[in-house]
Amino acid sequence: MAVKESTRGKEDAFSAIPPCISAWLVPGLGHVMLRRPYRGAIFFSVVMSLFAAGLALGGELFPFDRSELLTLLAAFAEVGVGLPYFIVDILGLGRGEVTAVTYEYGYTFLIVAGLMNMLIVLDVFDIAVGRKD
Amino acid sequence: MLTSHFFILTLFAFLVSIAFSLLMRNTRKEQIRFAILAFACFIGSAFVIGWLMFPFPS
Repeated sequence: MAVKESTRGKEDAFSAIPPCISAWLVPGLGHVMLRRPYRGAIFFSVVMSLFAAGLALGGELFPFDRSELLTLLAAFAEVGVGLPYFIVDILGLGRGEVTAVTYEYGYTFLIVAGLMNMLIVLDVFDIAVGRKD
Repeated sequence: MLTSHFFILTLFAFLVSIAFSLLMRNTRKEQIRFAILAFACFIGSAFVIGWLMFPFPS
């Protein structure tokens, strides 16, 4: 019995991988895949608003610089936003205006957008494995 | 360019409160209540901390 439950738990965890990856790449898509379009739309709006506001405020997409621990951590937090991070990086936006009054606000918004999306991915995982409605 | 500190604070509090309410509560009523409370706490704590820092030299 315990073995069967353990096997089922592993299957549930594996089936949760595609929605989790989708949720990371496009904020809210994981919830849409799990038939929660209302939540997915709100999460998409919130994360993209935070990300866009961060860019508008002159925030910086930090590089993966191993010599600077805090910069590296900030970069990992920002990449949590998924596909928008890479699109903005390829377009050459998000270089940051260090002289802007709102520079610190900007990168705070970008970091929070990434971290928020990571929490949303965890929420998708919980829903997919049946821990949450 | 957005330069109003209060507007930026309000925008941040609004967006984060909505996200947390959906993550931490299940029913619609609880979510709305939690979002309003979290938003008020964000704004209220900013004012309280701001006044606490008032005596310090800028």
